[in-house]
Amino acid sequence: MNCKEASRYLSAYLDRELDLCRHRELEQHLSSCPECSCHVQELQELRSFFVAGAPYQAPPQLRVKVLAAIRQEEEKRRSAFFYWPWVYAAAVVVLSSFLAWNILFPGTQSGVLREAVQRYSESLSPVQAADIASANPQVVKTWLAAKLDFVPPVVGFPASGYSLAGARVDSIQNRPVATLVYKHGDDVVTLFCWPPRRNRLSKSNHTIDGYHVSTWSNAECNYILVSKLSDRQMDEFADSFRVHVKSGAYF
Amino acid sequence: MQEKRSRFEELCLPHLDAAYTLARFLVGKDGDAQDVVQEAYLRAFKGFKRFRGENARPWLMTIVRNTAYSWIKKHAREANIIRLDPEIDAASAPKPQLESFWEERLRQLHEALSRLPVESREILGLREIEGWSYQKLASALKLPLGTVMSRLSRARERLRREIEGVRNMEAQDEL
Repeated sequence: MNCKEASRYLSAYLDRELDLCRHRELEQHLSSCPECSCHVQELQELRSFFVAGAPYQAPPQLRVKVLAAIRQEEEKRRSAFFYWPWVYAAAVVVLSSFLAWNILFPGTQSGVLREAVQRYSESLSPVQAADIASANPQVVKTWLAAKLDFVPPVVGFPASGYSLAGARVDSIQNRPVATLVYKHGDDVVTLFCWPPRRNRLSKSNHTIDGYHVSTWSNAECNYILVSKLSDRQMDEFADSFRVHVKSGAYF
Repeated sequence: MQEKRSRFEELCLPHLDAAYTLARFLVGKDGDAQDVVQEAYLRAFKGFKRFRGENARPWLMTIVRNTAYSWIKKHAREANIIRLDPEIDAASAPKPQLESFWEERLRQLHEALSRLPVESREILGLREIEGWSYQKLASALKLPLGTVMSRLSRARERLRREIEGVRNMEAQDEL
C-alpha cells in the first residue's frame, strides 16, 4: 500500500471500519511511513478535539419550550376525541341512516309498534279502556268519525268469541288514530287504525314487552293489533277482520 | 396517557443537548435549531407508541435530522448556504479580548465548522458525537458504504484545513 492509497483509508482505519485485510495492510504501511503515521495522529487529535468541543449545550429555555409543547400536545390529545373528524362523520352517517330508515320505512320502524304497545298497556291498568263504551259498531263509528278526520271501519264481531267493547282516540307518532277495543273473555284486544300518510304497514308479527303485535294494512288503513293472545289467535282475528272489512259486512 | 408522557420525558429529555447540537449542525442559527428541536420532540412524542427499546437516542436523532431537513427545504429559498451562527460572525466581529486558550480554540472550531458544507457537518456529528457505525450512517443517509467512508474522510480533511485557515487568518490579523 502506498501513501496515496493509505490516505483514503486513514479515516476509516481510525473508525475501525476497515475490513481485516485492509486494516493489516494499512498498519503495515503506517509502521514504515512516519508521514502517514503523523497524519493518523493528527486525525486522532482532531477527533478528540471535535468530540470535546463541538457539542452544544441546549439553552435552558429550550427544555422549558419542549416540555410545554409536549404537555400541550398531551392535553390536546386528551380532549381530541371530539375533534376527530371521523367522530363527526360517523355521527352524520348514523343520524342520516336513522332518518332515512324512518322516512323510507316508517311502518316497519319499531317506534310505531312500541307506541301502540304503550297505549295498549296504559289502557289496561285502569279499566278505562274505552272513551266510548258500546258494543254497537254504528255508535262507535259515529263517535270516532266525529273525533277524527277519517272514518275507520268498525267491525262488531270480527271473529267468534270477540266482541266490540268500545273505542277511544289515541295518538301514535303524533297522529290521532282510532282505537277499537275488543273483549275476548277477560282479555282485551286492541286494534289501532289510521289512514297511512305515505307508507303502509306490511304484514308482520312481533312480540314487544310480552305483548303480541300484528300489523297489516289495506287500501284505507294501517292496522296494529295488540293483545296477550297467542300468535295463532292473533292471526285468526286479523284474517277474520280483514274478511269482514273486505265484504263490507261490518256487523 | 400521563404515564406515556413521563416515560417519553425520561427517555428523550436527557438527549436534549445532543438533539440541539445536531440541529445546530444542520440548520445553523440558535433560534432555528431550537425550533427544529421543539418540532422534532413533538413529532417524536406523537410517534412514541411506535418506539421500542430503551435507548431512544438514535431514534430521536433520526427524527431531529428529518425535521431539520424539512426545515431546510422550507427555508431553502431564503438562504442557499446554511452557516453556523453566531460563530459565522466571529471572524468579522472583534475578537473577545480576554479569551482563554480553550475558549479561543472552541471558537475557532465552530468558525471552521460553519465553513463546512452541511453534509460534512452532519456526517461528522453523527459519527463523532453520536457514534453511528458506517452501516448505520449508510442506511440513515441512504448512501453506499463507500460514499460514507469517503465523505467522512473528506469532511475530516476539510475541517482540519478550515481550522488551520481560521488560525492563520487570526494570526495574520494580530500581526
